[in-house]
Amino acid sequence: MKKVVSEISGTVFSLPWLIAKDHGLFEAEGIDMEFVRARPSGVVTHTEDPSEVNPILGHVAFEEARVSIYRA
Amino acid sequence: MVRPDSPHNYPGTLGNRPIAVQFHAGSHYVALRLLEGYLPNEKIKLVHYGSPQQRFEAMWNGEVDACVVMEPWIALGEKLGCKAVCEGHYLGAENASDDMDEATFAAINRAVAKAVDMLNADKRKYLHYLIDDPRQAAALAQYGGLTPEDFHLPRLRYSYTTPYTDEIVEDTYHWMVRWGLLNGAACATDLVDNRLPEAEATSADD
Repeated sequence: MKKVVSEISGTVFSLPWLIAKDHGLFEAEGIDMEFVRARPSGVVTHTEDPSEVNPILGHVAFEEARVSIYRA
Repeated sequence: MVRPDSPHNYPGTLGNRPIAVQFHAGSHYVALRLLEGYLPNEKIKLVHYGSPQQRFEAMWNGEVDACVVMEPWIALGEKLGCKAVCEGHYLGAENASDDMDEATFAAINRAVAKAVDMLNADKRKYLHYLIDDPRQAAALAQYGGLTPEDFHLPRLRYSYTTPYTDEIVEDTYHWMVRWGLLNGAACATDLVDNRLPEAEATSADD
C-alpha cells in the first residue's frame, strides 16, 4: 500500500475524498490514505487589504511538506 | 447572503457596504467576480473575516451587511430566512507536491472519480458529512441544525478531475493581475506547467 497524507479543509470541497476513504475506494487502488485537517484560521484580523493576509491560509501542513496533496 | 430583514435584495445596493470573505480563497474571488457586474470596483468593500462560520456570524450579528459562504452555511442561512442576493460557482483545484508520482496521482483520481459517481447518484445520502463535521456541527446546532432535506441539491456539483486548460489559466491570470492579486511581472506559463496533460493528450491521440 502506498501511504498518502492529504489535507482536508472545507468538507464540501473534499466530500468525494471522504466518501472514497469510508468506502474503501483508495484502499482498492493500493492507497493508504490519511487525512489531516487544515489549520483553523484562529484569531482573524479584520482587514480590507488582501496584502495583510497570508495567502497560504490554513494550508500550513502542505507548505511544511507534512501532506502531499490538498484541494482548494 | 444577507440577513432576513436586510434592505438588500440584489447586489447593486451593496456598494461601500462591508461584505465578509476570506481573502485569497474562493469566497474572495467569487465575490469580486459577482459584484463587479453590479458595482464599480472602488465601491466593492470586502473585509477579511476568516472561516465560513466567522463570516456567517458576522452577517447574522450585523457586523457586516453580507457574507460569502458555501454549503452547509447557505442551506443554514436559507433555513433561517436569509436572502441569497447572488450566487456563483468556481472550479476547485487539486494541489499535489512535486514528489507525488504519476501512478499514485492517477490511482487517487480513479478512487475519487468512483466516489463522485456514488455522490452524484444520491447526493442526499452523503450530506451527513456536511452536517456532522465536528468543526461546525455545534455551530449549526446552535442555529437550529440542518437535515439533508434542507439542501438544494443542484447547488452541489461534483465532476471528475481534469487539467485546467491553457485558456482558463490565461483568463484567470489576467483577471487576477487586473485586481492586483498577482504580480504582473510573472506570466501564466511561469505559474503552470501543463506538459504532463499535453503529453497524455498526445498519447491519447496516437
